[in-house]
Amino acid sequence: MKFIKQHISLIFPLIAILLGLEFFIVFDRTTDSFEKGLQEGYSMIVVSKDEMSIDDFRAWDSHIKQVKELEKSKILKRLNIDEDKEKHLKSSLPNFYSLKLDSYLTVDELESVKSNLQKSSNILSIETFQSAYQSKYELFSFIKFSFQTFIGFMTIIGFFLIVKQMEVWNFLHAQRMKVMEIFGASLFLRSKVLINMALIDAVISAIITSWLFYLFKNSWVQGSQMEILKENIDGVFKFSDIFILLFAAITVVLIAVFLVVINIKEE
Amino acid sequence: MPNVITANNLTLGYENDEEIIKNATFSIKKGDFVFITGPSGSGKSTLLKSFYGNLAPSSGSLVVGGLDMVGINKKNLQELRTHLGIVFQDYKLINEWTVEKNVVLPLWISGYSTEVQETQAKRLLHHVKLSGKEHKYPLELSGGEQQRVGVARALAKNPFLILADEPTGNLDEYSSNVIWDLMENAYHQLETTVVVVTHRIPMVFNIPYRHFTIDENGSIYEVH
Repeated sequence: MKFIKQHISLIFPLIAILLGLEFFIVFDRTTDSFEKGLQEGYSMIVVSKDEMSIDDFRAWDSHIKQVKELEKSKILKRLNIDEDKEKHLKSSLPNFYSLKLDSYLTVDELESVKSNLQKSSNILSIETFQSAYQSKYELFSFIKFSFQTFIGFMTIIGFFLIVKQMEVWNFLHAQRMKVMEIFGASLFLRSKVLINMALIDAVISAIITSWLFYLFKNSWVQGSQMEILKENIDGVFKFSDIFILLFAAITVVLIAVFLVVINIKEE
Repeated sequence: MPNVITANNLTLGYENDEEIIKNATFSIKKGDFVFITGPSGSGKSTLLKSFYGNLAPSSGSLVVGGLDMVGINKKNLQELRTHLGIVFQDYKLINEWTVEKNVVLPLWISGYSTEVQETQAKRLLHHVKLSGKEHKYPLELSGGEQQRVGVARALAKNPFLILADEPTGNLDEYSSNVIWDLMENAYHQLETTVVVVTHRIPMVFNIPYRHFTIDENGSIYEVH
């Protein structure tokens, strides 16, 4: 009971911080591929008088990653007109291009790409499908912002709880450390008990957080209808995350221990 | 006999405060038993603190065990402290540790083996008449018993210098006499140097001693 009481007050805030960190990693991984999907699924249509190569487009804006010419014959075939008319129309029609961008741009950046391309006298028209793009982008940004705020909030609470725990440590360990200092104990020896305890808590917290995410991946995500997570299930929790969590937990507790120890001054 | 403590024009004071000990010049030789007395607030404890490096001299010089205490580095100070035995009025025991573990603290700090620590703890606790209380915690003992643990801890590493700050200040007459007896025995057995800060020198004391006194102005005189 005493063991649990001693350790839970650090383990709890540590888990809050580690959950925040792991959520951030998972969110980053899944949104990265979602963002990639949005980016790959998006293209703008450009109409030009003369033929244009990718280099011609890139000369106006470097965000252009790929250019695909839309075949006029395919467009005309849909109209079901006779061959002569088709030939005539084909020679008078401008060139149509579908452009893909190098990343998922903001609405402003997209507008800037459009205005850069418009500077070319060869380009007749540009369709960015801005309203569809904007609604997807804003929804995505809102979800991202909300989640990051939640993670940030969780981490701040975790840190506040750790600061509180540092005050408790100060109260519990100051007397022993002061006495040990009087008798010539080194800084390491004085803080050994605290370091050991904090390291145990860091390991326990990393294991609990890893276990929670393992469960999250193997039961909740698999049973859920969230395609974004199901498609990226490997990114929800990786074995290497255990080491990231362990490293983060150890770093946090060692900083906390160090701050407590250097603040304990001999009377 | 070589000097264990040498002070030359030693001045001590706390930050932003007036000087407490002024221009003290004295020396304490190996094998001396020294009482330092003086009225409350005269700076007795301050002087003792400077001997174990808790307070650096404001000016002048102070050499303890061959080490200059002015600007002493942490490593040397830690090394010096592992060779000192210090007894406090408020015992300064570690309450969450057993009596045995408290007694062998100096040995533990110096990295002695568990076997040596156990043997020494047994011997020391027998010496201070606390055999059988090895596994008790300080707060389970009376004040007199706690101070005996403090004395045992001070003797654990056969220190070349024992410093005691009002060792009987919180004790009744009977317990005080027990502590003085222990100090006398330790002095004889270890052939060490002892400096005791006290309000009152015990009535019956069987060791020839030196007596320094500090007046209200922070000046130190040797009475005899």
